[in-house]
Amino acid sequence: MTKIQPPLGGSHRRPDAMAKATGQTRYVGDLALPGMLHAAIAVSDRASARVLNFDVASARRMPGVEAVVTADEIPGDNQVGVIFPDQPLLVTDRVRMVGDRLALVAARTPEEAWDAARAISPAYEDQPGVFDPEKALDETSPTLHGTDNLLHTFQVLRGQTDPDHLDADVIVEAHYEIGGQDHAYLEPQACLAVPEGDRITISASCQCPFYIQQAVARVLAIPLASVRVEQAPTGGAFGGKEDYPSEPAACAAMLAWRTRRPVRLLYSREFDLQVTTKRHAMVVQHRWGADKNGRLVFAEVEAVLDCGAYAGLSTVVAERANVSAIGPYAVPNIMVRTRIAYTNNLFGGAYRGFGAPQVSFAAEATMDTLAHRLGMDPLEFRRINLVTPSDPLTCTDQPLAAPQMAQACLDRAVKDSEEHQIAPRAPDSWRRGRGISLALYGINLHRGGQFLDRSSAVVILQPDASVIVRVGLTEMGQGNLAAVQTVTAAALGIQPDKVQVWQPDTTTVADSGPTVASRGSHSSGRAVLDAIERLRRRLDPIAAELLGCRPEDVELADSCARVSGGGPSVPLIDVTREMAARRIETISTGWYRSKPRVFDEATGMGEPYASYAMACHVVDVAVDPDLGLVRVEHVAAAHDVGRVLHRTAAEGQVEGGVVQAMGWALTEELKLDQGRLLNPSFTDYLIPTSDDAPPVTVALLEDAPGRGPFGSKGLGEPAFIPTAAAIRNAVCAALDVEINRLPLTPPVIVRALAGNHRFKHLME
Amino acid sequence: MDLSVKDIYRPLTFDEAVAAFSDEPSMLPIAGGTDISVQMRAGKFAGAHLLDLSGVLPRSISADGGFIEIGAGATMDEIADSGPLRSVCPALCQAARKVGAWPIQCRATLGGNLANASPAADTAPPLLVADALVVAAGQGGLRNIEAEDFFAGPGENTLKPGELIHSIRLPVTDPPSFSRFTKLGWQREQIISVVSLSISLHLNDQGLVTKAAAALGAVAATPKRAPSVEAVLVGHSLDPAAISRAVEAVQNDITPIDDIRAPAWYRRVAAATLVERMLEEASGA
Repeated sequence: MTKIQPPLGGSHRRPDAMAKATGQTRYVGDLALPGMLHAAIAVSDRASARVLNFDVASARRMPGVEAVVTADEIPGDNQVGVIFPDQPLLVTDRVRMVGDRLALVAARTPEEAWDAARAISPAYEDQPGVFDPEKALDETSPTLHGTDNLLHTFQVLRGQTDPDHLDADVIVEAHYEIGGQDHAYLEPQACLAVPEGDRITISASCQCPFYIQQAVARVLAIPLASVRVEQAPTGGAFGGKEDYPSEPAACAAMLAWRTRRPVRLLYSREFDLQVTTKRHAMVVQHRWGADKNGRLVFAEVEAVLDCGAYAGLSTVVAERANVSAIGPYAVPNIMVRTRIAYTNNLFGGAYRGFGAPQVSFAAEATMDTLAHRLGMDPLEFRRINLVTPSDPLTCTDQPLAAPQMAQACLDRAVKDSEEHQIAPRAPDSWRRGRGISLALYGINLHRGGQFLDRSSAVVILQPDASVIVRVGLTEMGQGNLAAVQTVTAAALGIQPDKVQVWQPDTTTVADSGPTVASRGSHSSGRAVLDAIERLRRRLDPIAAELLGCRPEDVELADSCARVSGGGPSVPLIDVTREMAARRIETISTGWYRSKPRVFDEATGMGEPYASYAMACHVVDVAVDPDLGLVRVEHVAAAHDVGRVLHRTAAEGQVEGGVVQAMGWALTEELKLDQGRLLNPSFTDYLIPTSDDAPPVTVALLEDAPGRGPFGSKGLGEPAFIPTAAAIRNAVCAALDVEINRLPLTPPVIVRALAGNHRFKHLME
Repeated sequence: MDLSVKDIYRPLTFDEAVAAFSDEPSMLPIAGGTDISVQMRAGKFAGAHLLDLSGVLPRSISADGGFIEIGAGATMDEIADSGPLRSVCPALCQAARKVGAWPIQCRATLGGNLANASPAADTAPPLLVADALVVAAGQGGLRNIEAEDFFAGPGENTLKPGELIHSIRLPVTDPPSFSRFTKLGWQREQIISVVSLSISLHLNDQGLVTKAAAALGAVAATPKRAPSVEAVLVGHSLDPAAISRAVEAVQNDITPIDDIRAPAWYRRVAAATLVERMLEEASGA
């Protein structure tokens, strides 16, 4: 429809940058209304217990308290489970995890609200809990819901799948224990609920205002149309604000409904760390075989996700994990089984990569181990086994449109890694290692979530040729405003500063699903292009009149309408003024939905995703061989992005993904004891500091167009997926050890050196 | 979340603070507040009466006879940048620069870091090594407490009820030839020590150690001196054999525990490694 033109691929200032950098952006925590009350939540401090009784009368009498709400006062469904109805908003008789909600408090100050919430302490009868996902699947384990703890099983079965017949010259068996991760967004969970007669407005820090709309309508038993959800400026999300914000929003809405006053709910960092969803911890068992020439013969994967106490999004996370377990390698015989186990741990949810980082970590670690056993260079071993144009099938038998991009990303990252000229930062006495990891990323929602994959846009052309845009997908720091602004400006041939993109609001755009799965710029950009196409059915005839040409010969560029092929032009503003003068409709809606796909859940064969992106990270590390400290010295990241929309935003996605994955790989450890988080603060839950962040050489490869606007592909998640395995492979190469767990904290590394450590006698 | 306190008493002078605290020793003294506010967020000290010392603590760093006197209200940033301290006790300046991030260093006070009595307090090892005196102010005036006698356990010090830290006195008549501080955590900055170490050495013209002092943090219930390390160093040159003896000796000086930051065995390995590296650095210096 439209040619590639500025500002596509450029680095104009992001529209939200100045307000954020100067503190003008008003987050929920900056909002206050007259008469506003503050909410707090009374939660369980134990992971598995019967609630015998609990008394809220004394909390109601505490200073400043205006309302205390328990389950029996909920007008609608006491239910916030996003897929399965297994999670009450407020528990009544049983708690299944630390952080289960008992009651809601509204008070005049936040201190009074949280004091009263903390004072609510039921009589419990502790029940046996289960905290190990593999043990949870034993028949004898205590169950959380129903008769067993197995939530769901997914499989990929390709070629010969009978383990007794899977044999090869070299076989690697490995057991991976992969830890969870907190999202550590800068802004903890936050929302503001304002009741008004029979309707309510929620401002929330979130990734899906529509989920919140549905949850609030369900809990309050009011029509969807009575719930308005505005996307508030959102200080980071990473999946942690996909499904979870429905819960605090339902809490604030309940209290607002009950008190008929505005109610704001802000989580403290400590509370947020303890009660919100996490990246799933996983246990992955591998048995992979290769022939003596280095060709992979089979891959057997047994993965168990620690779901925690409630299903949340675990089934869709597992769905992605299941088909991501092999990576971009051509393997004839595949047996993947992915199971989800309920436990009394914190519950797993969406997190950048959505199950793929854990299984990719295992796959890329096994690739290195296999290469070593074969006596091959891990780089060469990968080259031999990558998907190629002659062997272009994914593990689900889906042909890749651009399989050559796997090799292209590998070559580029290796080249950038070898050529980088960055002085080492760690002492010379540390050991050096290089690690490689690739990712094959299914862009956009899995076929199982495809019913959510639609997107709405509204474009309003102003008389001065500026444009207002609304899309249904959200800005949460990742750059969706910049992406949509860029797409709009490029499609209309105008300057980006003439385009104002506004955050979604459920009263201005239709349900567009969640901003997840690297689908933001893809789905909202496509909807905007659709809106612009419809708008031009009204604009082009006016322009054609002014230009004296046929409407189909009108093109828009350089803020002008012109006759295509270099004919005369008129300023676009003349066209928009003429449209205004003639009272021509200048508002246009747009829509995007993905095409139906075929997928057999029993065998895992088919088209789980519409298209794919490749990525390769090559990491240089230095490791202190005595103390086990790791310094990531350099990361070369090559990504198959199809088309760059906004260059600095894209590079920022990659750099951010690398650093976030580095934290997961090295220092971020959720220390749980009987389901309770022992380190719920940034004092002891250690995310990387800017001083730890490595230099990242980012290569954005534009050789294979994708299905997003102007051929772009999703980038948010592939930016994260390869890093941890590359770090692990680099650390193992530096020390000549095999470590199959995350995070690689210094004690884990020192312990792995065991017999070779100088002070091994001190380790008993 | 905001902090929940009952009231705040803000004296106009240090003497007034001492008098008020003597009358009401249950008050919670607060200076920079960088540690108390974190603990308050975790629910500790709910309903506390705060005694706000921020405007009244002595905070100058001045030479006084054979001592440098550091006011208890001196901030980590002021200590890290102090010219006199850099020349006589660089280890203390290095430690001060490693407490949290720079904004924290601009608020956190030396008195607070000591009174808080964390086993991982970064300024403690250098002060222990320097034979510092903690000057306590109470109803009866000032009294000196040897730094080594100051710490009583995690969060426990030997101040008497109603006493405040007035200042810290560092003897400086005989500055060491070598003075260092180092700390270990999983990150390079903004980290609570998993193990910290300070060593000071006096070396004679022949390179023999005439006086040695070492102290560690986060390896026992309190920051503590390492007498075994000191004993094996004095009278020897810093050759590999001496260093190796010190590396072994430090194990007798520490009683680490498993906690959420690290297992005890790792702290033993780390203490050995840090002692070795610091002495190797000293031997080359």
